[in-house]
Amino acid sequence: MSKTDHQSGADVRPPEVGSDVSGLQSPATAFWRYLGLMVLAALPLVFLAKDPYWLNIIAFTYLMGGLAAAWNIIGGFGGQFSLGHGVFFGIGAYATAFFTTRYGLSPWLIMVPAAVVAALVAMLISWPTFRLRGPFFAIATMAFNEVAFVLANHFDTFTGGPRGIMIPFKAGFANMIFRERWQYAVLMFVFVAVVIGISVWLRRSRLGYYLLAVREDEDAARASGINVLGVKLKGMALSAFLTAIGGTLFTMYLRFIDPPTLFTLQDVGVKFALLSLIGGVGTIAGPLLGAALVVPFENFLRAELADALPGMNLAILGLLMVLAALFMKRGVVGAIEDLVRKFKSKKGGP
Amino acid sequence: MDQILNVLVMGLLLGGVYGLVSVGLNLIFGTVRIVNFAQGELVMFGMYGSYYAYTYLGLSPYLSVFVVAPAVGLLGVLIQRLVIQPLHNESNMQIFATFGLLMMFQNIMLAFTRGEARSVGGDFGASVIEIGDLKIGTVRLLTFLITTLITIGLHIFLTRTMTGKSVRAVTQDKRAARTMGINVERTFLLTFGIGAALAGLAGVMLTPIYSITPGVGGNFILAAFAVVVLGGLGSVWGAYLGGLIVGVVEAFAGYYIDPALRHAIWFLIFLVVLIIRPAGLLGQVGAEEVGFREQN
Repeated sequence: MSKTDHQSGADVRPPEVGSDVSGLQSPATAFWRYLGLMVLAALPLVFLAKDPYWLNIIAFTYLMGGLAAAWNIIGGFGGQFSLGHGVFFGIGAYATAFFTTRYGLSPWLIMVPAAVVAALVAMLISWPTFRLRGPFFAIATMAFNEVAFVLANHFDTFTGGPRGIMIPFKAGFANMIFRERWQYAVLMFVFVAVVIGISVWLRRSRLGYYLLAVREDEDAARASGINVLGVKLKGMALSAFLTAIGGTLFTMYLRFIDPPTLFTLQDVGVKFALLSLIGGVGTIAGPLLGAALVVPFENFLRAELADALPGMNLAILGLLMVLAALFMKRGVVGAIEDLVRKFKSKKGGP
Repeated sequence: MDQILNVLVMGLLLGGVYGLVSVGLNLIFGTVRIVNFAQGELVMFGMYGSYYAYTYLGLSPYLSVFVVAPAVGLLGVLIQRLVIQPLHNESNMQIFATFGLLMMFQNIMLAFTRGEARSVGGDFGASVIEIGDLKIGTVRLLTFLITTLITIGLHIFLTRTMTGKSVRAVTQDKRAARTMGINVERTFLLTFGIGAALAGLAGVMLTPIYSITPGVGGNFILAAFAVVVLGGLGSVWGAYLGGLIVGVVEAFAGYYIDPALRHAIWFLIFLVVLIIRPAGLLGQVGAEEVGFREQN
């Protein structure tokens, strides 16, 4: 008898990731919960508005939280573990950098068309890859990311190649360049609020339920008459659209982009997934929560360790990833839900 | 004509390198059904192992391989036991865990070596055999031969020995294998160990050719995935053949189009295979889907 044998027959899977334990919420409850989450998320911004060091971290946390929430739409709700979201991020970033520096267009005007292009590209490259399941899908999307890296290095007329693109500092709302850090932080907050708002809506929409169905059992979903490929493509397009908008914001915040900043897997494509995992894959608050935990921690590690031991900060992040996969499969949100359930059952008695 | 022949030979030899790196990955991929993102880092450990054995003990890579490859194999067994086994049937978490291992290994080595590239000074690495206009690097030729030998050896192991047969049985149907009295978990440990040892071996063999950096695994892992997908999941000869094809295609594309675009070539191979024949050239049709369905 081997150790895992006793699990063989019986269905002892833990409650599915991100399942709504409390059942269906009324639209009003969902709305108030969303508002509460956003108010909570805004608190650090309000309290630390004077501190440029923290404002930088906060702005970045919102941005990464928004990007992770965008990934979560297809990765969490849809269960399609894309590691290639760097592609869409890069499309938003490069389109923004190219058209602002070359033609002096406002980033606000570029943002949406670039995101539409990203969504179209996403559908185009996902169409063949969605026939793959699980790890195969992850590898294929990773390959796309690497190809984007190579192409960005190669076609330097559009991307500036390895030298990257620098966006000159011209402050003003129309240029999406601000003098004060808190203004950026507010911008990023709006982004994460919009993405999470869309997640809340999606989770209650027909498409959202279809995505969950596909995640739980693709064959059963197909048997129930769901157009599986169509559902995945829609989810991916929406996710890519939002990711590209994040790319625009990222570019205007840093004002410098080059291929490594956009396509390094552990900083971009995998990072989105990592944040969602730590917070709770497939939940509404998980991605932002993950970002709120990981981004400041990472900053701290980088500040403390990068000089003494280069790379040690990333090694610790890697270890964190392994541990999270092993012991916190449902992320922080899942752990909290478990605690709440335990508390409730104790109070009510069996 | 000579040029074409030269490029072809270059491609085949490069293919030998890819085949060597892929064969372990494919074994793990096919049997344990794990996408081991950290496989490239196991290759890197093999490279560093042979580098340190060479610098501090004066051991030639062709001797130190007998220590380094089993050591990396042992690491593989530990990974399987401590990380992969607890995550069985959770393919998404496995992706995460092995990617976390990738980041961990790579950056621990970075912190340890402070990012300086190392290489084994080659009296040997530079020697070339000339046949007419053909120039063949001795080390690369040797690598090619070793790849061929290992492929044959692995084939014999899997088809002729009881242990090898049990590995194949587990690959085909875990549950049926269990009812036949095969210890599935132990087979997984063994397979992961062999796959990791092969990665370590590949690393040792590549030390004379490539300079050693903590990120060197990244150079191989995508190519190895392309090889595995092309050759066919879990097929030993598929990894060999796939390696050769990818190597040749890359050599021709690098020579006639642009060396910078070779990654794009891998991707193209990837995409074409995925669309036309997702099972790969020598893989069992359907394995790419059934292989990852939940099995108890």
